[in-house]
Amino acid sequence: MNARDIWILYRMEIRSAFRERSIVVNSILMPIFLYPVLLWVTFSAMTFIQGLNEQFTSRVALVGDLPSEHRAILDSLEARDKVQVIRGLGRDEAVSLIRAGELDVLLSFLPPDSGGASLPGNFRVQALYDRSEARGQNAVARVREVVDDYRTRWIGQEAEARGMTEQDRRLFWVADEDISTETDLGNRVLGLLIPLFLTIMVALGCFFPAVDTTAGERERSTWETLMTTSASRGSLVTAKYLYVATMGVSAGILNVVAIVVSIGAVMAPILGETEGINFRLPLLAIPVMFVGAMVLALLLSAGMVILASFARTFKDGQAMVQPVYFAAIVFPLLLGQQTDITLSPGIAAVPVANVAMMIRDAINGVFLWPYMVESLVLDLLLVYLCLRLARFILRFEDFLIGSYSGSFWRFARERMGFRSSKKDLA
Amino acid sequence: MTTNGRTVFVEDLRKTFYDESRGEVKAVDGVTFSCHPGEVFGLLGANGAGKTTTLRMLSTVLKPTGGTASVMGHDVVREPESVRESLGFYSASTALFPRLTGRETLRFFARINHYPVEGLAERVEALISRFGIQEYANARIEKLSTGMKQKVSIARTIAHDPPVLIFDEPTVGLDVLNALEMVKVIRELRDEGKTIIFSSHIMSEVEKLCDRIAIIHRGRLLALGTLESLREATGEHYLEDVFVHYVTRAEGLEVAAIGATGELEEAP
Repeated sequence: MNARDIWILYRMEIRSAFRERSIVVNSILMPIFLYPVLLWVTFSAMTFIQGLNEQFTSRVALVGDLPSEHRAILDSLEARDKVQVIRGLGRDEAVSLIRAGELDVLLSFLPPDSGGASLPGNFRVQALYDRSEARGQNAVARVREVVDDYRTRWIGQEAEARGMTEQDRRLFWVADEDISTETDLGNRVLGLLIPLFLTIMVALGCFFPAVDTTAGERERSTWETLMTTSASRGSLVTAKYLYVATMGVSAGILNVVAIVVSIGAVMAPILGETEGINFRLPLLAIPVMFVGAMVLALLLSAGMVILASFARTFKDGQAMVQPVYFAAIVFPLLLGQQTDITLSPGIAAVPVANVAMMIRDAINGVFLWPYMVESLVLDLLLVYLCLRLARFILRFEDFLIGSYSGSFWRFARERMGFRSSKKDLA
Repeated sequence: MTTNGRTVFVEDLRKTFYDESRGEVKAVDGVTFSCHPGEVFGLLGANGAGKTTTLRMLSTVLKPTGGTASVMGHDVVREPESVRESLGFYSASTALFPRLTGRETLRFFARINHYPVEGLAERVEALISRFGIQEYANARIEKLSTGMKQKVSIARTIAHDPPVLIFDEPTVGLDVLNALEMVKVIRELRDEGKTIIFSSHIMSEVEKLCDRIAIIHRGRLLALGTLESLREATGEHYLEDVFVHYVTRAEGLEVAAIGATGELEEAP
């Protein structure tokens, strides 16, 4: 291998890449704009839908009589904003209306079924509704709010009648104190978003360049042109690999920068003006993210380049590389749901997941150095094995000149010790 | 660096492939020839005769199964990078990078093939001028017409000024005018002292262009010599008839019985 040749080839690849629309869009523009915009749209839509739900009037039907001493609860219900009380419906009719979406909840006032039966006039409210409908859930929540308020008020009046003030009634409570800072809260949010988006964007950043520089070259008949230059095969493959990894790293880093810069505006629709939250990354998390993005890019680009190089057309290449893309984002996606776990020896042994977890910990100010080292060593070992595999594959001329028509999996079955073959004659 | 005045030397070159349906296939079976500076050496054969495989071994894209070959004294197996540095390879399967401009393409190929950096800019401009591509030198290759691409492609083949040039079916897909232009360029390069290996299945091109002709069939050389010597040996006038003569004999008698190599030497 020759460093000068690698540099010349690498520059040519990068120059070509920046003139290809799909690569510029997927590796540069999407990381910067798509995910911040996508997040903003999602959060805004959530807020909008929540607002819409609150605008609906809940249609509440009543069945059965209330004890005379608690008739006031009906006044509260009727006085509640966005609640329409309907009377005179039978149970069966009400159930069909709920199923038809024309009624939201049927309330039946019943005697208490267990405790509280000794209290004169006590009752329970049974709410019949369709849980699959947001309007039904909303209606039940509003009824519960009215009943809870009524109970609190009634207990208060009864206690005062017995000479107990509100202060006297305040017994056995939990007083909590939140010691987290606004930055802690912000980092918690960033810790959920960044590892996932970084992995997605590094994978996406590698995806199109990996296919373009291998299958695309074959499709454009430029592969053999390169093979007839005086650069060694090793230099060719190294330059292509470094180019794909570079695109992956830049996509990941650009995305992190875009998210960090825009997160305040992106989260504004759901945070509103009341939440005190500050998005500021710990300084030490920045190099960790950078190293993590590099290792991810080296790992993913190695896998993608190997798989895509078996394809003869860009379309085939996309199909062959897609499993790596999806496999790469599965672990960060699953780990994103588990907010309480940190990097452990077990997670450190899982490629991609270990980097995602390492970055999340770093954003939250947790630096478990032994496990971080374990993660990096294991991932780099895997990269080394991939490169050895690539070198092994390059020994086969039919693969090199593009006459081999199988996928990587077929190649592995036939030529990597799984089945003896005479094909290496070629 | 030549060996006894030979820029290209091929001896008993062999290549065996494994094909799922046909089993072992001898694509090239004991081919021997040599080329000299200022010569157009023609490889004439039908499709699948072994021309491209021979040239791919010479350009080190493929490794020979047996025999030896060298370019400018560099062995194709032991010194593949030096071999590729000494030759320019042009074929229908070696396209240009569509997103680079013509100027960038020439610069890239000159650099990657180790043309001296100090003379690089002059070399690129000289090529642009020589092939008349000034007007579109800064346009991307993907925007150019077939004829324009052809000129850039020839220019990139000789960008590093190699002593040996391989043209594998260079006129495939070209219209008459562009094909004539290609023939003209090859003649000029020959006159500059380059060794040119020209492969084709088009008799008229080989007849017009080649100083010596090798007829290849089923991986074996059936005859090698000047057009005149081949005419004399067969008693046929047209190259097409000469070609048919050798192929028919080979099909009927088996190549081994002809003693192809011996006969080649007898036809100087």
